[in-house]
Amino acid sequence: MPADDAIIALIQESRAGEAFERLVPAYRRRVFGLAYSLLRDRGAAEDVAQEVFVKLWQALPRYDGRAQLSTWIYAITRNAAISAIRKRRRSLSLSDPVVQDEVESRGALAAAEPADTSLWRQVDALPDRQRQAVTLYYQEERKVEEVAAMMGLPVNTVKTHLHRARASLAAALRIAGLEVA
Amino acid sequence: MNSEDPRQVELDTRLRKVFGGLDAGAGFEERVMQRVAVPGTTAPRENLRAQFERRRELLRRRLRREAWMNSITILGLGACAGALLWRYASAIQQFATDAAPAVDANLLIGGTVAALGAALWFLIWRAQSGR
Repeated sequence: MPADDAIIALIQESRAGEAFERLVPAYRRRVFGLAYSLLRDRGAAEDVAQEVFVKLWQALPRYDGRAQLSTWIYAITRNAAISAIRKRRRSLSLSDPVVQDEVESRGALAAAEPADTSLWRQVDALPDRQRQAVTLYYQEERKVEEVAAMMGLPVNTVKTHLHRARASLAAALRIAGLEVA
Repeated sequence: MNSEDPRQVELDTRLRKVFGGLDAGAGFEERVMQRVAVPGTTAPRENLRAQFERRRELLRRRLRREAWMNSITILGLGACAGALLWRYASAIQQFATDAAPAVDANLLIGGTVAALGAALWFLIWRAQSGR
């Protein structure tokens, strides 16, 4: 990735501050998306993303280039999100009625059409890995390879999760009377 | 994931619509920059130095504790050995007197030196490997 090369070059020149200024916009969506895919909560995902960038700021001078920059950042993000889940003790679910009200009041979902709200809920009902793969894949037209790197899973496993998720979603929407096309 | 099935294509479109806008809130980058700029958040170089000092102090404490433990162990073993010698002095003396004619003196001295050397080697190895 050209942006990564420029960031790594700056780190190697001991210009961590400049490297960080480039890193934040380059990875903002990916870090947030990965955190969101694990936490299923915008506020918590944003808090985790903030923590991740602070950690990166502190750890950047120690980055030795042994792992790919993106792999390193994804690992930090996954660990931070998992820690946040453990701290929270119980995973929030969109199917939880209390959370549902809160979620529906949020911008993205409040503005969505009823059919999209239903789709959102169907995605939330998917098994964790399938939901995570769908969220990351459709967030930014990513390649399966990148989604696999973000999730820390083999490419074929992610392909399987995506395939199963899409089949489940199509079936669930058909049952809910919101059949696609 | 570009399926030819029109229903899957439609599903893809709707999923892109739902998740395509997923992003951190406005002003996220500014908030990150503010957080790393506040005095409480140490700069990388300072952070590294503090970390190095903390680790050095922890290592120093650990070595001091281990040195105490080693000293206590050696003193304890020495005291036990002394007590045993004291308790069984007469029996050892009797054994040595009886065995002396049967055992070669050089062999006895060599064995004793080898045993002491092995014990010393073990203590040095233990101290160096930090076990």
